[in-house]
Amino acid sequence: MDLDLNVRKDGDHSVLEVAGEIDVYTAPKLREQLIELVSDGSYHIVVDLEKVDFLDSTGLGVLVGGLKRVRNHDGSLQLVCTQEKILKIFRITGLTKVFPIHSSVGDAISAPAE
Amino acid sequence: MDAETGAAPAIVRLAFPPEPRLLGTIRLVVAIVARKAGMGAEGIEDLKVAVSETCAVAVGDLARSGRQDPIEIDLVDAADRFGIEVRDRAPASAQGPAGPGPGDGEVDDRELGLALVGALVDDLKTATLDGGGNRTSFWLRRGPGPLDLSDALPPPLT
Repeated sequence: MDLDLNVRKDGDHSVLEVAGEIDVYTAPKLREQLIELVSDGSYHIVVDLEKVDFLDSTGLGVLVGGLKRVRNHDGSLQLVCTQEKILKIFRITGLTKVFPIHSSVGDAISAPAE
Repeated sequence: MDAETGAAPAIVRLAFPPEPRLLGTIRLVVAIVARKAGMGAEGIEDLKVAVSETCAVAVGDLARSGRQDPIEIDLVDAADRFGIEVRDRAPASAQGPAGPGPGDGEVDDRELGLALVGALVDDLKTATLDGGGNRTSFWLRRGPGPLDLSDALPPPLT
């Protein structure tokens, strides 16, 4: 399975919907998309992981890189995920303390900026 | 021999070219074999992450060393557990981040990946192979009972 990315604007936020598997092979595509968003001035990003079937440490690294990039512009990067198998990866690595993780895109967009 | 049934563990032995695009195929094969062996859904997901992380490290090391030796994987179906062993022929000097490409420089993918494997599975062991290369093995128990580790994994193919 490949990785499908779809970007849409919702107010001040860019919503990046990710579908498929994020691993060493596909993570560069996600990295490039995040870099492009920030380069285009999107500093408040919501990454929707609801359709992600697999996530590895390379994918986590790409998300951390994206978070650092938006923070350089006083922006935010929030995640949407309710899948236990994906949430488990964030919990084990301690990244639930780094990323705001929401149960819906609407919750992420309406959440107060951290 | 299996401590409970007296039967030898069933072993499925695979060899893959060290290409990142094949990691998804490896995960698929592991999931099918583990499901056939009776592992539960959560255990299968843990095994997929563990084998993928281990193989990604091997793929990265082999790419840096310019070698194309296949990565060998044993899937071991024993009575109380399901085991995986991954072997590669990457020299120790090639060790670096997982995967062939540059990372973000924000996270050490290799360390994070191996930490993830250690958290998901039982009895994670790594060793250096004679003549160069690495051997990584781990088990996942089937139920809450004690894990019988009296059976060593089979010797490496090479």
